[in-house]
Amino acid sequence: MTGLKRVTTLGAWLNLYFFWEKKWFFIAMIIGALMLHMPLPQGLSPEGLIILTMSVVSVILFVTEPVPLPTVALLIIIGQVMLMGHDSSEVAKSLVTDSVLFIAGSLMLAVAVVKQKLDKRLAWLIVRMTGTKTWRVCFGITVVSGLLASFVGEHTVAAMMLPVGITLISLTSDDPKKVRNLAAVVLFSIAYGASVAGIGTPSGGARNAIMIGYWKEFFFDPTNPETFKFIVSYVDWMIHAYPMFLIQVPFVTFILFWTFRPEYRDLSRAVVKLRKTIEEEGPMKAADWMSILIFFLVLLGWVLISGEIGMGTVAIAGAAMFLVAGLVRWEDINSGVNWGVILLYAAAISLGLQMKETGAALWVAEAFLETLAPLGASEGFGLWAAVSVLTTGVTNTMSNGAAVAVLGPIVLKMSVVANESPIILGYITAISSSFAYLTVVGTPACTIVYASGYLKTTDFLKVGWKMAIASTIIMLVAAKVYWPLLGV
Amino acid sequence: MVEWKGAPGLSDEEITARKKHFRILVCIDGSDECYQSLKYAARLGGGVDADIVLLFVRPVDQGLRSGGLQVRVARENMLKWGLELPGIKYLKKGFDILGELGMMDGKDWSEHVVHTDVDGDPLGDNKTEYVNAKGKMVVLKLKVAPDIATGILEQWELGPYDLILFGTSGRWKGPMRSFWDPAVAQKVAIHAPCSVLVARDLDVGHGHLICTDGSDKAMKMARWDGEIASHCNCPVSLISVALDVEAEDEAKANVDKTKKVLVDMGIEVKETIVKVGNPVNEIIEAGPNYSLIVVAESRKTGLRRFFMESIAYKVIGNAHNSVMIVR
Repeated sequence: MTGLKRVTTLGAWLNLYFFWEKKWFFIAMIIGALMLHMPLPQGLSPEGLIILTMSVVSVILFVTEPVPLPTVALLIIIGQVMLMGHDSSEVAKSLVTDSVLFIAGSLMLAVAVVKQKLDKRLAWLIVRMTGTKTWRVCFGITVVSGLLASFVGEHTVAAMMLPVGITLISLTSDDPKKVRNLAAVVLFSIAYGASVAGIGTPSGGARNAIMIGYWKEFFFDPTNPETFKFIVSYVDWMIHAYPMFLIQVPFVTFILFWTFRPEYRDLSRAVVKLRKTIEEEGPMKAADWMSILIFFLVLLGWVLISGEIGMGTVAIAGAAMFLVAGLVRWEDINSGVNWGVILLYAAAISLGLQMKETGAALWVAEAFLETLAPLGASEGFGLWAAVSVLTTGVTNTMSNGAAVAVLGPIVLKMSVVANESPIILGYITAISSSFAYLTVVGTPACTIVYASGYLKTTDFLKVGWKMAIASTIIMLVAAKVYWPLLGV
Repeated sequence: MVEWKGAPGLSDEEITARKKHFRILVCIDGSDECYQSLKYAARLGGGVDADIVLLFVRPVDQGLRSGGLQVRVARENMLKWGLELPGIKYLKKGFDILGELGMMDGKDWSEHVVHTDVDGDPLGDNKTEYVNAKGKMVVLKLKVAPDIATGILEQWELGPYDLILFGTSGRWKGPMRSFWDPAVAQKVAIHAPCSVLVARDLDVGHGHLICTDGSDKAMKMARWDGEIASHCNCPVSLISVALDVEAEDEAKANVDKTKKVLVDMGIEVKETIVKVGNPVNEIIEAGPNYSLIVVAESRKTGLRRFFMESIAYKVIGNAHNSVMIVR
């Protein structure tokens, strides 16, 4: 067989389409192989290089998604055993932390809460409070979505409120083209209302729990009372972040109405029909009251005892209560939670801790600060702004929990090198990770409202940059003016 | 066109019937362009009693991007409120358009609703089939797939289809951006095994501009399109582009040769054009005077089409009006 014919035969055998679809996987692997074989950079240990390589490869795979994302978690686990030589049982143990339990428990709670059909009660509450003016209805949706999302996570609220929003839109007009802008303001009121609230409490999002876990792992020393401040409680977090959420709420409605001018200034027709639909539900039932009671018990647990037993324990206790009370079936929880996400967060957190232990986080932090120095952003306010912009950029390309898991160790080490407060930079990272307003994949709430089919990807860009600027300014002002008052 | 070998669940008779019928797949996304392409499909298919399948692809609900809560939880909640899945409204509108165009005339239509379970999405694929006594089929299909392009390409496997139509509002991305994230229309045009019509401001009255280089492939394409054009009474024009002045006579001969083939089929050729210059630029420049540009594509695989940047691929990507690639 001639050489040319051999090549042709090989070409016919290879499924080029497969390689094309997975191109970013192969590019990531090649970059990884090159990094592992490059000369060891000064100041970086061989183990640090391996972990840094795994982090770079993971980030490429997180952003480009050539393989199902839980595969990245599996690769991280394999890498820790095969490349780092860790014992597989030790790696397995490192995967389960309170943050991971919290993420799992919160997701189970999310499914349980959505299944309680409290959405119609919420809709009734909103239209009763706001009347029929479009801007008032949207403001009401933002407030209610925000208040709920600050405790139960934005995905829960988006799933509950989406039918309310779509019902209002479709009752106004059957033709989606006649309600393009109305759909945008209503649906973004849900998504952005939930997103800005996700920073309010630790249970507002996985990213918050991840940062609380990092603070403890990186800085807490039981023998040193000075490090006790790095155990950030539920209430501590709320005191720092909740006011920022409240300040952002009116900005959400203002920016949405400034960007999309809704075709209908009054939603009387839709509100009247919606009220009628809701009234058919009748009075609250015993199961509804039980759901609300369990929800408040979980909330109390987070506020009062999560410091002792962990936020994760409270979350899974809440899920267990819903199951024991028969308010949700295990099958619903099993099919409603994407368990791959939990594995993914577990592996990403484990990798983050390895970044710290091998010195890779410190090395990247120093390199990053060196780059920022000529721009005057290697310390103080400049560094805060740089970290916020970096986090906002990263979180718009991957899930915000993954962004914090990847960036957290680097930012916390940067704070040490730059002699800044790890608490301030940690908050800035966790809070900025919620500024993923520009893309559909940025935040869970955006992904869920996009599934309605009413929004275009360009809508997110059109309004998202305004939201990102407003949120960044509010956060930096809080960091400069408000947090110092709290003694940070 | 790649030979279709049948699909699971179809009897031998059904497979044979589908192979005999001219089948058109119209991708619906709610845009004006998609309904323009549907009207054109109705016109093309009217004369041959073609099967017309309206397809809306819904990306599979998955929870990774939604923070771990499956989108299906939100979806099920919406259904409990009596809200329809996205796409149903668009398909209904398409069906109404076919009705207005007289495609559903007659009382002999039977209706079948079919649901297919799909791994990873409890709501699965759903379709409503309308079949008349002659075996002509109009199908509304709501399909679930990992992404829209994959859904359209998978639908061909269940087909087969002679022609895929979809609307697009603009020209395509450059090679670098395409490498990162090819647009849906671009991906389908590259990988589809059958002819593809990319509709941009598709205005039905101005006829087809068939590009020919005199090759066997071009002759075959001209015959195929000539037949299609005759179904909808669309005038046919021919264009051939010479790379330089020396090749102008050859280009003229190519046009004449193609014209003869069409005339022998009883198809009137309205106009013949011979140009000198860059074929892609000349074709694109002449294109807007016609409803659509028709170009032939080789049997290269999808990736080779992209890397080798064939004339057909460049024309479909850069033209200002509609383009049909004949395979």
